Order: sequence, then C-alpha cells, then structure tokens
Amino acid sequence: MSGAILPAPSQRTATTGSGIGMSAWANMFFVLPYIIVVVALVIAPLFLGIWLSFQDYDMLGGWAGGVAFENYTNLFSDRIFLGTIRNTLLFVVMTTPAFVVVGLFLAITLNSHLRRHAVLRSVFFASSVLSVTVVTLVWRLVYLPNQGLLASVTNLLGLPGIDPVTSETWALPGVAVVTVWWIIGLPMTLFLAALQQIPKEIYEAAALDRASRWATLTSITLPSIRRTIVVVTLLEVILQFQLFGQALLITGGGPDNRSRPMVQFIYETGFRDLQVGFAAAASQVLFALMLVAAIVQFWVGRSRDER
Amino acid sequence: MKIRTPSTATGDRLILLAVVLLAAIWIAPIVWVVGLSFKPNEVLMRTTGGLVSPPFTLKNYTDILNSSAVFGWMLNSAIVAIGQMTLTLILASLTGYGFARTNFPGKRPLFLLTLVALAVPEQAIIVPLHTMFATLDLHNTYIALITPRLAFPFGVLLMTQYFRAISPEIEEAALLDNASRLRIFIFIVLPLSVPAQATLGIYTFLHAWNDYFWPLVSATRPEMYTLTVGLASMQTNFAQTEGLGFLMAQAVFAGLPVLVLYLFFQRHIVAAVAGAPTR
Amino acid sequence: MKIQKVFAALLAGTAAFATPAAAQPKTEITFARFFGACEADYGNSQDVAHARGECGVMTTLVNLFNATNKDNILVKPQIIEWGPYYQQLNARLSAHDIPAVAVMHSAQLGDYVRYVEPLDDMLKEAGIDAADFTPNARNAVTVGGKIYAMPWDTHSWLWHFNVGLFKKAGLVDAQGQPIIPTTVDEMIAQSKQMKERTGKNYIDIATSTPGDFANSSRSFYSWLYDQGGTIFPSGYEKADFKSPEVLAAIRPFELLAKAGTITRGLDSGGGLSTFLNGEAAIYLSGTWRIDDFLAAQAKPDSPLHEGYTTRVFPSLFKTQTVWTDNHTWVLPKGGTNPAQHKAALVFIKFLWDHNADWARGGGHLPARQSLMAGYAKLPLRNFIVELTNYGKALPHEARRQFGFQSMIGEEIANVINTGKTAEQAADAMQERSVGLLRGR
Repeated sequence: MSGAILPAPSQRTATTGSGIGMSAWANMFFVLPYIIVVVALVIAPLFLGIWLSFQDYDMLGGWAGGVAFENYTNLFSDRIFLGTIRNTLLFVVMTTPAFVVVGLFLAITLNSHLRRHAVLRSVFFASSVLSVTVVTLVWRLVYLPNQGLLASVTNLLGLPGIDPVTSETWALPGVAVVTVWWIIGLPMTLFLAALQQIPKEIYEAAALDRASRWATLTSITLPSIRRTIVVVTLLEVILQFQLFGQALLITGGGPDNRSRPMVQFIYETGFRDLQVGFAAAASQVLFALMLVAAIVQFWVGRSRDER
Repeated sequence: MKIRTPSTATGDRLILLAVVLLAAIWIAPIVWVVGLSFKPNEVLMRTTGGLVSPPFTLKNYTDILNSSAVFGWMLNSAIVAIGQMTLTLILASLTGYGFARTNFPGKRPLFLLTLVALAVPEQAIIVPLHTMFATLDLHNTYIALITPRLAFPFGVLLMTQYFRAISPEIEEAALLDNASRLRIFIFIVLPLSVPAQATLGIYTFLHAWNDYFWPLVSATRPEMYTLTVGLASMQTNFAQTEGLGFLMAQAVFAGLPVLVLYLFFQRHIVAAVAGAPTR
Repeated sequence: MKIQKVFAALLAGTAAFATPAAAQPKTEITFARFFGACEADYGNSQDVAHARGECGVMTTLVNLFNATNKDNILVKPQIIEWGPYYQQLNARLSAHDIPAVAVMHSAQLGDYVRYVEPLDDMLKEAGIDAADFTPNARNAVTVGGKIYAMPWDTHSWLWHFNVGLFKKAGLVDAQGQPIIPTTVDEMIAQSKQMKERTGKNYIDIATSTPGDFANSSRSFYSWLYDQGGTIFPSGYEKADFKSPEVLAAIRPFELLAKAGTITRGLDSGGGLSTFLNGEAAIYLSGTWRIDDFLAAQAKPDSPLHEGYTTRVFPSLFKTQTVWTDNHTWVLPKGGTNPAQHKAALVFIKFLWDHNADWARGGGHLPARQSLMAGYAKLPLRNFIVELTNYGKALPHEARRQFGFQSMIGEEIANVINTGKTAEQAADAMQERSVGLLRGR
C-alpha cells in the first residue's frame, strides 16, 4: 500500500542531495501514512470524546443538551472517583518499577541462545497468552480466603494471613502481583531486543580487563540500553494507568473502593449506567493524567540524553 | 565474554538458581490452568485441587472442537491478528525511521502528536470510534476489526528509539552512493532491526488475538466472530462455577497458537547475538 | 486499495459459506441471546424433552423450530456471553444493527422500553393468551399499562439448606426439616448455635466480584420488601437509604459478620464449593441451583447426601415477599421487515408453547399460570411455587437498576468483608445513588 506511494518522492530526495540530517519535505512521506491513521482513529475520536464530556448524554435515554463543566464538577465531588485516582496512581507506582527491574533482570540473565534460557524465556512469556478472564479465575483460586494457595502457604509458614480480597491494605498489591505475573513478558522481550544492539566487542574488551559483573552491568549494559529503559518505563506507566480487568474480576474494586481503578469507574458509569457524557469526562481526566506522566518522563529522558 | 573466573561461575549459578525459582512460581498457575482443563466440570464444582488424581477427561477439548463454527472463528482471528501485525509493523517501521533518521518540516510537532496519542486511553475513544464505523457502515467487516488498532503510538516510539541506536555511518556511506532513502531503509536499516520487529510483531499479534471488547461490539454476526468472542459465547451463564474445566480448555486452546508463534519469533529476538555481524 | 480488495474477496467468501444455496428463500430472523452454546452435547438434537440446562433447552428448541416450522422460517441465533450482553445490545441499537428477537431481563425492560415494540396486539395476533401470565410475569413485562415483552420465566432467591448440618446443630423440627428463623434475633441465635455445634458457617454467600454483588443486593431487596420498605419513597428520581427499613435490611449482615458466622471474600466458585463440601449450612443462591444440589444429594459420597432442601428466602419481618427477576423475549424496534415480523411472532408463539420445557430443563418457574400445577410436582418445587404470587421487583420506572444492584451489593459486601456498620453502608449507598440518578 505504502510501497506504491513512496519510491518516487524519496528518489527525488536522493537526487536533490538531501543527506542525513538535512530537512526535506519528501521525508515526511515516511510518517504521513501513520499520521493520517492516528488523526482519523485517535485524535478525531478523542475530540468527539471531549465534546461528549460537556454533554448530558445517556446511551439509551438520549441527549439532553450541553451542561458546560457540570460533568467535571460532579466528578471532583464524587468520593468514589477521587478514590479511583488515588488507587490508579498507587498502582502505577507499585507496578512500574517492578516491571522495569524484574524485566531487566530476566532479560540480562536470559540473553543467550542456550536452550535452557530459551525455555525459561518461554515460561515467563507464557502467562501473557492467557486472557484476563482466565488469569483472574486462577488467581482468585490462589487468593481464596482460608482455602486458597496463598492462605495455605502463609499458614504453613506460620505467617499472618494475607487476604487480598477482603483487606483494604492488600487488595491493590494483590492485583499488582497478578499484573506483574501476567505481562512481565513484554518488558523482558523489549529489553532483550535492546540488548542485541550492544556490540559484542565491548563485552569482550571488558572481559579481557577482568571487569567485575557489577562493573560490566553498570558501565556497559545499563548505559547502552538507557533509552530503552526510558521507553519501557513510559510504556508501563501508560499501560498501568489503564488497569481494568484484573481489578474488576479479582476484587471488584473493593473492599471499600480500595482497588477500583479509573477505567473501571469509566466502564461502570459509561457502559453499565449509560451515562456516556459523565464517563467521557472521567476519560478526559485519565487522559490528562497520562499525558502529564508521559511528557514528564519524556522530558526527563530527553534531558538526560542531551547531557 | 566466555572468560570466567571461578567467582563469576558461582555467581552465574546463583543467578540461574534465582531465575529457576522465579520460573517455578511463574509456571505454577499455568500448570494449574492446564490441569484444570483436563478435569470434568462436575468435579471442579466441588474442588479445584487434586489435579494429579483421576478422573481426567478430554471432553472439554472435544466440546470446543465439535463446535462447527470454531474453525471459522479461528480463521477470522488469524486474519485480523496477521493483518494488524503486518500493517502495524509497516507503519511503525516507516514512521520510526522517518522520525529517527530524517528531517522534515514539522517533525517535532508531529512527534509530539505521537506522544499525545500514546496517552489517549482506549476507553476515551471507544464510543466515538464505534459511532464512526457505524456511520461508515463498516461493522461486521475485517476492516472494522483491523483498522482501529493500527494507530499504535508505542510501536512508533519503539522503532524510533531502535533506529536511533543504529550507527549512522552505515547509512551515510550508502547515501554517498546516491541510494534513495527508501532503498537504504529497506535494504540496510530494516534488516538490522529484526529483534525489535519480532518483539513488536509478537505483541501486536497477541493483542489482536486476545482482544475482546471491540470485536464484541463490532462483529455481531456469528460468522464474523473472532475466537475470543466465539468461545465466550459458548459459555453458559454460570460458566465460572459449572464450566470451569471448559473455560480452562478454551484458554489453552486459544493461547497455544500464540505460544507457538512466540517460540518461532524469539529466535529472531535473541539470535542476533550470535549470528549478526558486528557493526 | 489492494488490501481492501482482498478483504472484499474474503468477505464474499465468508458470506458464501454462511448462506448455502436454498431451494426457496427462507425468511431468516436473527435471535440474540445468552445462555451459551452447546453444540457438542446437543448438536442438531431436537429432543427438547430430554434437554437439560438453559443452554441445552434453548439449543434444542431452536433446532426443533428450524426443522419443523411450516412457514419456511430460519432462526439464526446470535449468541453472546451473558456478562457483556447488554453492552453489546446497546452498541447494536446505536449502530442500527438490530436483532429480530432478543432476550431481556425484566429488570432491564424499563431502560429499553422506547426501543422495543409494545406487544399487546401482537401477542393476540400470534395466539398468545396474556391472561395465562402469572401475576409476577404480568408485572414483569408491563410498563405503563402496556405489555412490552413475552415473559419466559420467573427466577428468584432462595436459601439452600444442608439438612445434615442442621440436624447436627439441633435445628430441625419433628419431621427432620430445618427450622426456618422468623426474626433477625432467631437467625443470629441459630447461626451461633450452628457454629458452636458444627464449627461451620451458617450463611454461605459469594461477595468478591461484581457478578457476586447481586447476591447481597437480592437479599437486601427481599428483606426490604418484607417490611413494606422502599428505596424510592418520593418518586424515582431520588433514592432514600436513610429509612429504618433500609437499615433493618442491612443489619442482619452486620450481625452475622460480627458473630463470625457468614463466609467472607468468597467468589462464586468458592461459595458453591463451600456448600457442596459441607462447609456451610445455608447457601444463598437462586432457583437455578436446585437441580445441581438434588444431583449432589443423590451421590453417596456427597456431604449433602444426608439431606438437602430449599425454601424461598425467608422473611425475618412482617410479610413474606422475595426478590424476583424474569427472562423475557422482546422484539426490538426496527429489527424486522414485515415478513420477518410475522416470522418473529410465529417463533415466540412456538417458544410460548414450550414454556414447560424451559421450566423443567432450565430450572426456573414458568411464566404461564396453567403450567404451575405441573411444575409444583417437580422435586422441592412445592416449597417455592407460591412465590410467583408475592415475588417483587423494582418498578420499571426506576432507572439504572443494574447500577443500583451492583452498588448496593458492593456496600453490603463491605459490611460482610471489612466490618463496616449498617449505618456506614447506608450512608455510602445514599451518596452513590445521587451519582447514579444524575443526568438523563
């Protein structure tokens, strides 16, 4: 599709002598197809959503006209919604470092084509192929009060029982553990891909210098994949802000609203209670939070880059 | 790299031990899923333990295979997942290269647009998106199932980042030979990005294959169902209590193709370590 | 461009597979429902009389209709998982992709009333006698004096008893039947006695996920109606959770939680297995579970072998009522052309004629008064058959019934699982009800 569009303009690029780093209109054709897709399928619906957030719109009851900022003022006086902001931020703070650290550890340890490493990589990836329904079904069995696997283990070790389903303290960490278990494969694989870009010679030189494992890690490996660490962190923040199914299906957002994420709130108001305008307003708050998080991280990553 | 002192060998072993232990924790719930899938549903109503003791059954799997529609759903899922994966890889690679290696007017604002798009939560656009496709009368088509996911800003970000890390000298030499940018991209840069392509590929495929809500509201004719929607439609209203084994068999059945695909892809993610000539 | 052509070709191919060349054109009608698909067990079976379970009966009924109807009608089921069924239906309505016949809970009918055909005249045309509706079914499908759906059943809320544990706890009468408590105090005393004598929990209820929240709200509504209470004392735009009746309907959960005689944090599977394993005396669930427990009782190794019975969710207050809901069939507006409309009526008449099969195989109470005597002869049904006379649901005028059910259930789950008081739960319900009823 795009192959048909591109050759001619870029040929011209070459003949007009635009070298690396030189600006040319023709180079825009590399990004144009994607920009069109993004504008049509993300930006346009986003603006529709923003418009909806200023309406009183019920999916079945119909449209009752504009309400200015009423949906937003209602949101910020809604105790449940405010709780979901707290839960979502906490969840991002709990899971993102875990994803980066564990993912990095696994990638560095399993970065070889030894057969046993390939098998282990598959093990850590395998949980990702399961749907959220099945993941939560199994973990509900693990978390079952008194009878579940977790209760059996803590009993056996004589530890105080941890009961994520009925404890205000442990509900969100319980959901976080499931999430890390479910999709650790993604950061692991992303880091693995990045590690392939480190030239082998650098390691060989380090080995000849008898550099310690720790020195190799901190002075070669980590700096080389620094950009990927930023990108993976950014991705995990974006993904974990959108926590939904695991919380809904393990704790139902409870107990006492201690694990209900923002997306669950959006789902319940929009799709269950049909208050589309109100849900759209909540979506925009989530969008704003994610945008701020993304820009801050991008900016931090960039400024380190330039130093 | 292979030169080892005794202390690093011990360290290696300790780390491997830690990973193996972690892997054991990781695989336990999966073993449970597979085990449950071979147990009769009636037995599981009473207990979900006792996986190694009989009775066992294949009925959960034969129930899936005996559904006349299941292979049609699988074909739909394959078309959607492969279509989404292929188109996403093309779009993300082209765009990533454009952002990483070329200059053009408006590059910074357009890159910023990508960043903004990255932060748009799915829930914020699903209702407008559904309305748009309804207006265009595109529901119940592969186009409606595939296109909404093509705008995948993370893919662009990943490829941009990956292309940036490739040494520019390689390209500069080719540019001096007057090769076109597209030729350089396809024949020189793209082959160097195989690990990133494989990673992005497996995850777009996985995401498309497991997607549930969009296919549910877009493909409403049973002949257009994807595997996830189709399998879920077979569940009775009390599936989680009276059809647990069946649910688990569905999970294994639907998950296996992706796992096999990963086994294939992962060679391309890590093989470069040994095979690729150093740059 | 090219890709679109490939898609078009693939689409055409799929369509060709889906519609085999028929000798004469059939009138096809779409039939949106949940209840699952069970081709493996029932395939093309038309043996309705021996079908078991909701899925089995629905599948064989459609098979039978497609094979035997004289009007050349083909019913095409569009089956969807029950969980997201209404979300999908909303999406279909907004996209004008409308099924000819669709299943709908009567609790949802109020929200959808402007989207479905009024059926008074059509039922007559189809030969369905609305005079045969049970009082509960009639209420369930009537909105503002008009009938908007064909009722298919009544399902309701019960106590399922492990009679063996009741015997062990000394809580049976001379006939060996469980003594049913008639006040809150009696119930709490029974629960303590049960715990002391058997070590088991008295009440077994699932409270962990949104699907389970219905369990506590159904119980709440039943106890509220028993007192003649309501959450809508002054119109349906404002709910009131501050009345003494509301507090009294939540209180039993607080007391059970304080006494430590109710299960905490179980999901639906955990709740069911707890009862099947003899770990709790009373399981709170619906009419749909009776046959499962009868089957368990028949097995010699089952903890229920010593005895299983059931009663309508007991009143602890002045009158006996109980929460009910109904499966009904609606004809969404715009789902048919005139020929399909006629076909849809023929199909629902066929369903009407097989209401007894649904009640027997699916386990629910029939929607037809004339079938009640026969239904009462099924095991244990004599204890529950009366409930179609006094069973109660929220009026159709009350909006967001799904939202209310989840919200109330969640707050009561908090009482059970985290030790909130009835007052705290009622306050939270009051606050959350405002948000639910806001806007159009």
